Parts: sequence; C-alpha cells; structure tokens
Amino acid sequence: MKDNAAGLGQTLTKGPRTLINKKLLKNQRTLILMGIPFAIYAIIFCYVPLFGWIMAFQNYKPKDGLWHSKFVGLLKFKRLFGDDVFLKTIRNTFCMGAMNLVFGTVCAIAFAILLNEFWTVKGKKVVQTISYLPHFLSWIIVTGICFDVLSMDNGIINEVLVGLHIIKEPVIWLAHPKYFWWIVTFSNLWKETGWNSIIYLAAITSINPDLYEAASIDGAGRLSKIWHITLPGLKPTIMILLIMNIGNVLNAGFEVQYLLGNGLVQSVSQTIDIYVLKFGISNGDYSLGTAAGIFKSVVSIALIAIANFGAKAAGEESLF
Amino acid sequence: MSKRRSLAAFAAAVFVMSSLAGCGGGSTGTPATTTAANNAGGDTTTAAAAADTQAPANNDAGGDATEAPAAEPAASGDIKEFTAFYAVPGNELNDGNDVEEIIAQKIGARCKQTWLTGQTADEAIGVMIAGGEYPDFIDASTGSQQLIDAGGCIPIDEYWDGYDNLKNFWTEEQWNSVRAEDGHIYIIPQFGNRWMYDTETTHNDEAFWIQVRVLEWAGYPKITTLDQYFQVIEDYIAANPTMADGKTPNIGYEILSDDWRYFCLENAPFFLDGYPNDGCIIVDRDTHQAIDYNTTPTAKRYFQKLNEEYKKGIVDPETFTMKYDQYISKLSTGAVCGMVDQHWDFNDGELAIKKLGLDECTYVPLGIVIDEGVVEHYHSPAALDVSNGVSITTSCKDIPGALKFMDDLLSPEILTLRNWGVEGEDYLVGDDGLYYRTDEMRANANDQAYINKHLCSYSYFPNYSGMDHDGINAASPQYQPKEFYDSLKEPVKKCFDAYGVETYVQFLNKAEGTNEPWYPMWSWSNNLTSDTDEGFVWANMAEVKHEYLPKVVMSDDFEAGWDEYMKQYSSRCDIDVFLNAANAEIQRRIDVANGN
Repeated sequence: MKDNAAGLGQTLTKGPRTLINKKLLKNQRTLILMGIPFAIYAIIFCYVPLFGWIMAFQNYKPKDGLWHSKFVGLLKFKRLFGDDVFLKTIRNTFCMGAMNLVFGTVCAIAFAILLNEFWTVKGKKVVQTISYLPHFLSWIIVTGICFDVLSMDNGIINEVLVGLHIIKEPVIWLAHPKYFWWIVTFSNLWKETGWNSIIYLAAITSINPDLYEAASIDGAGRLSKIWHITLPGLKPTIMILLIMNIGNVLNAGFEVQYLLGNGLVQSVSQTIDIYVLKFGISNGDYSLGTAAGIFKSVVSIALIAIANFGAKAAGEESLF
Repeated sequence: MSKRRSLAAFAAAVFVMSSLAGCGGGSTGTPATTTAANNAGGDTTTAAAAADTQAPANNDAGGDATEAPAAEPAASGDIKEFTAFYAVPGNELNDGNDVEEIIAQKIGARCKQTWLTGQTADEAIGVMIAGGEYPDFIDASTGSQQLIDAGGCIPIDEYWDGYDNLKNFWTEEQWNSVRAEDGHIYIIPQFGNRWMYDTETTHNDEAFWIQVRVLEWAGYPKITTLDQYFQVIEDYIAANPTMADGKTPNIGYEILSDDWRYFCLENAPFFLDGYPNDGCIIVDRDTHQAIDYNTTPTAKRYFQKLNEEYKKGIVDPETFTMKYDQYISKLSTGAVCGMVDQHWDFNDGELAIKKLGLDECTYVPLGIVIDEGVVEHYHSPAALDVSNGVSITTSCKDIPGALKFMDDLLSPEILTLRNWGVEGEDYLVGDDGLYYRTDEMRANANDQAYINKHLCSYSYFPNYSGMDHDGINAASPQYQPKEFYDSLKEPVKKCFDAYGVETYVQFLNKAEGTNEPWYPMWSWSNNLTSDTDEGFVWANMAEVKHEYLPKVVMSDDFEAGWDEYMKQYSSRCDIDVFLNAANAEIQRRIDVANGN
C-alpha cells in the first residue's frame, strides 16, 4: 500500500527538473521536515535489515551470531541453484505471479468499467461494496471455501459439472498439478478483483464528463465511448500500476499455496517463500533461506527496472 | 516483502500465543540475579520479590498487567506466573482453571501453557530463535536441537542443587545420556519414567488401527497380515456401505499425508518387516548397519497393496489432498474403518467419536506384518527419549523459581492432583484405598470443555507413569487396570473379551526387556538440519517421497509409477551419504551405552 501511495505521488509531482538551491530548501523546509520521519523509517526498517544479507555468505548458526559464523562465500548459492526443488519454485512463483498479474489487471479494469456503466448510483454502490468484501477475508477462510467448493462430495463445482454431463465422475481438483495454478488464480480473482477495481473506478470518475457529452453529440454509443474515452483515460493509471505490479510478480503469494498445496502437487505449488520457510526455518538452514530471499529481491528489482524502461521506451508513464 | 510479511505473521502468531504480558520485555541478562523489577512473569511479583524488599508494584516489564487475579485470596499476590510453550498441538486451558488454581495456592506458582497451532514445531521454534525471545519453559519437540544450538536454553544442571524431586527424576546414568556435547543438561525428558512398574493400558504409538464395529461384524477374526487386514475392511464396506444412520457413507481407509504427518503413509514398511519405530531407517539387529526401508521389497508390496485398494475405492479418493483438520473431522464422524497413525495423532478424533456415543467406532491397534511368521514390534517399552523435553529458556528471569515450580510439580500430592484431579469431584477413594470414578466423572474426563475448565495436568512437565507414589493406585486413571476396564463402553468391552485382552496394549506383542541402545533413531533424524550433507539428503528424501508416494498409490499402472518413483528417488537422494551418517550415529550410541 505504501508503495502504491508513493508511486502515485510521484506521477502527480512529475514535472520539469528543478535545480536544488538554498532558496528552494528554505521555501520547502516544512515539507522536508515532514519527510524526515519517513526517511528515518525507511532507513531503519528497510535498509538496516539488509545487513542481515551477510548470512547468505556464511554458514549461519544462531548461537554464533552474525559475527562468528563461518564464512562460506557463494556455497549457499551454489547449493540453491543446484537444487532441482528450488529451480521449480522459481518457475512456480513466476508463473503464478504472472497469471495473477495478467488476469488480475484485466478483470479489475473490466469490472471497473462495467461498474461505471451501472445505471443507478445506489445499485453501483451496493455492487461495489459486495465485490470488495472478500478482500477482507483471510486466506485461511478463503482456502476453506475453496476446499468446500472443490470437494468431491457435494462440492458445487463437481455437482454442476456432473449435472451438466461435462464430466462423468467427480474430479479431485487439488490432486492434479495441471489445475493448481488455475485454482490459485481464480481464488485470487475472487478475493481481489473488487478491491483492485477501486483505483480504476476512481480514475474513471476523474475523466472529464465533457468528453462523454461531446462524444454523445457525435453519435458515439456506449461501446465506442468506453473504447475511445474511458480506456485511453485510464491508460496512465494502468501503466503505473502495471509497472509496480511487475515488481511484485515474484511475490506470487505464500498463504494460498501453502494452505491449498499437498504432496501430490508440490512440484507446482511451492513458491520461493515456501521454500524459504521449509529449508530456511524448518530445516534450520537460515543461510540457504537468506540466499533464496536475496535472489528474489534482486530479480524483483530487475523486473521493475525492465518494465520501467519498456514503458519509457513506448512513451508511456513511468515510475523513475 | 512477502517473505518478511509472512514471517512477521508467523512471528506475531507465535508471540501472541506464547508470551504473556511482558515476557517479551527485556533481553536476556544474567539469569541468577533476579529482581522483582524484571520478573519474567510480568504480572504482580515473585518469591524473589518476597525475599527482596522491593515493592511488587515496581513493574516495568511492559505489556498489560491486567492478568493479575484481583478476586483471589490475599495470598495470590505471591503467586508466580510462568509461561510455557509446547511445540505440539494441544488444548489451551481456560484462565482460572480449577486445578491450576488449587496447585497455585499450594505451591505458589502457576504456568500459562500455550500450544502449537497451524504451524509445524520447526517453524514455530525457528521463528522464536530468529526473534531471540522465549517463554519461560519450552518443549521444542523436533526443534529441540535447533533451540539448544541457538543457545536458547539454560544449563539446568548448574542450578538444580536442592531441587531433589527434579534432580532424582532420572538416574545419574540416564541424565548422562541427556547431556549435550558440552556436558550440560538443557532438556528434561518428561515422559517414560515409570514409578515401580509399568501399568500401560493404551498403545499411544503407531499401528494399523481398525474400528471395533468392523471386528464385531467380521466375528472377531485373527488379523496378522496386510492382506487379511484389507480383506476384512473390503468385506465390511461391501456389506455396509453406510453407517448405522443409513446416510453417512463408510470410508474404508484413510492415509493422512499432510506435511510432516505423512509418516502415516510412508513409514509402515519397517513395521511390516517386524522392526520397531526407528523412524528414519531400519537398523539390522546383527550387523548394526542402517538399511533404507523405502526401497525394500516389503515397501514395494505395501504400496502395491495401497494402490490396489485405492483402485477398488477402499482408500478415500480425497485422502492425499486432506489437511490434518479435515482428516480429524472425517475420523470424528466415525465413518473411517481403518488407518495407520500414531494414537496421539488421532486422539482428538477418537474423543469426538466417544462424545457422539459411537464407541463401536473407536479403534483398536493391530500388529500387522507383511507375511505370516514375521514377529511384529509395534509396541516399545516406555523409553527415555533424550531428544525431547522441557527446557528453561534464557528469557526466564527467575530460574530458581522455575526449578522450584518443576520440583513441586513432582511432589506426591501435586502429582495426584495433576493426574487424577480433585478428590470427590474427579475420583472417589474406596475402602481399600483404591481410586475409582463414577460414569459421570469418566464422561467429564473425556469432555474437552470440562477439562479446559477444571483439569490441569501440566502434561509436558516431568511426570511419572506406572504407579502412584502411594503404591496402591496407578499414576493416572487410564493406567488403573480396573478403572480402565470399567471405563470401557459395552462394544469395546465385548471386543476385548472376544480377544481375551484387558488393555489396548495387549492387542500387540508385549514389549520385552529394554530397547536397543540405538533406539529411537528418529531422535537423530528429527534434529538434522539441511546445512549438513546428510540433512540435505534427508530433506530431499522427504520432498521426493511426499510427492511420489501419493502418485504411486494413485497410479493406474503401478509398475510404471513405482519405476518413476525409484528413478527420482535414486537420482535426487544420495542415500549412501545418509546411511553412512546414520551408521556413525548408531555406533556412537552403542559406544555411549557401553560406557566408552
């Protein structure tokens, strides 16, 4: 959330570069003073902990601490990338993250536009409220609902599909690796679409109504108004959110995969976070876990940079 | 970000569970010098405060001190508060639990106990270590070695002079086997200590379990082999597709395979071959060499059998996607005819069955083997398990108080309170001094709500099994032979009579003599960390087995499935590394036992 706010703020203040001089500093000292606590916050909670990354180059033992653990160089990284399990978790994380990003964005935009076309304000508010409620449910509850929906006895999916004669026998959905990513994606969609559409809805309301009026006079129908006014108006918002979310692709999640996963699908269900938990915490190899975490952070930063570069090259809004 | 967030979530969960009031307040500090001001309990005060002249109001430990029991008698001001976390699932007692209060009044201390919820022991302990703050007492379960390595426990043997109940809990030789590499004692194994002689009535460990109603329907046959076991279940399911209510479909066989609990799927092969539960390997009794049980012919036959039963629909098709909670809730309906499990693992489910009054759906253990003639070894004598125990942590600010608390819990009067409850309320005393219970008392003792409100056994603090200190009664009701038999419900009694047994243990071969010196090897494998080569192999074995064993059982073509599994297993797990390390450990344990 914090990232979002920062990102949007930046786009608003974007303008020609100003030279920093004494006068400017003096004029803006209130702003600077207000900013200092946040800078301190960021240093203490975001940058100082990075010191712990040193663990990845040691054979870290809590008893010996950071100062006395044995230094092993890149050994942990070698083990990490020699481990088939970890390579699979990279693939899983990336694929599930990408699926979430694509379907999440498309659905949120589509939903926001549909909602915007609602004919009564009251109805629109009711639908909006209902649609973002699942966001406040914890994953424990959502996965519980998933288990029920996908269950073999009386699960609604199996009941409906068997009733429509699409499948003959109930399917054990969670036992097949090929379905797992889709189950995760749909759970995410169910939970987050309403919530994610809020920001697009806000962007739509800020589009100048005169444009719609002018289009109506020119004889534009609903669809062409959406296509020629709403979507172009949303473009900057979409780009910024896309860039930021690309950086989040590797944060494909932890809870949902951890809770829905089982032995049969673990080759597709385990994400980097689960790997860190399993090998880093449970099996007591903190260094390996740290190494996996570093890998994830570095890739995420690279992804953001690439997306940003791409957006800039295409002449669109960009973060930095 | 998400990594940190999920860790934070775990940490939050753990600390909310485990730390009362201001236990998280200060950092470690030198243990022996305790004052009221930095008392770990955080609430009110300690005996140290009584000795000190300092006023108890001087409480800077942070957190809320609202726990202070205001409505208690005046003496409650002197009652110490400790915290304990057990890295095993359990039930949290209500605040103000009756027996807890009685004990607190008698010994001047009480302990708030919290349990594992929704995590594995290793995760919970790993997070605590990362945070460096602990409750006063911990039973870290499989995370014990991690905790000791992290320097989270105090060396108890440096402080324990004068606490004789505790010091004499185990013999000198037994304590020696508990000592860590540096010669100190960090954990106190709390179980398996017999007073006088063994009176065990229930088999708390692993076995093939089968419902009483299935045996009754089949005419109480003698069941020894895997084939016979499944034949009985198949026949029963064919004749009784639903439960007595005519609605709930019967389930032939469940295989729990959720996370670390997948032992229910994977470790039966060594039992089928007649070996005890060494957990990670078979140890050859003559050559003392470790054998990998995953690749034995017995293992293949066992999984082939499971595969057949799966195809026949006897095994619940959903079994491999189930979480532990779902498993327990299925068991609780009484519909599941049989499974392999540890009794402590499904005890909650069985309690629920009893609560429903479906005692014919409770389970008895069977010592199933692969072929006639193999001697089963499911039941091992109560053993000193040196890998688990309760520890006092470095976060404990009142070590003498903590030791006194454990010491007092071992005094005869308190032991009776812990194990039997309150005289007149939970048990009655006969003219001959024998304790007995009415039906209502027995029902109460099985009622979780009643237990939470009234009983407090401090179950993970040192306790005796066998006989009570009066030499007349058993240590606790479930060990009192007459009381135990009388407490059985009609269907179970009938079953016992049919097989000519009086206790659950008698369904299995009697555990003769003592355990082998290397037993149990799982206390070694549980403590492997993946930064060693054997630990990494061990972690990978779990990865492969966790994925491929369910696949093998569900495969349409068993041979192809098994070959694929063996291919993965041999290519991803360097089993020789693991066996060599195991052999070294076996030899080490034999040497220790021989006094070298």
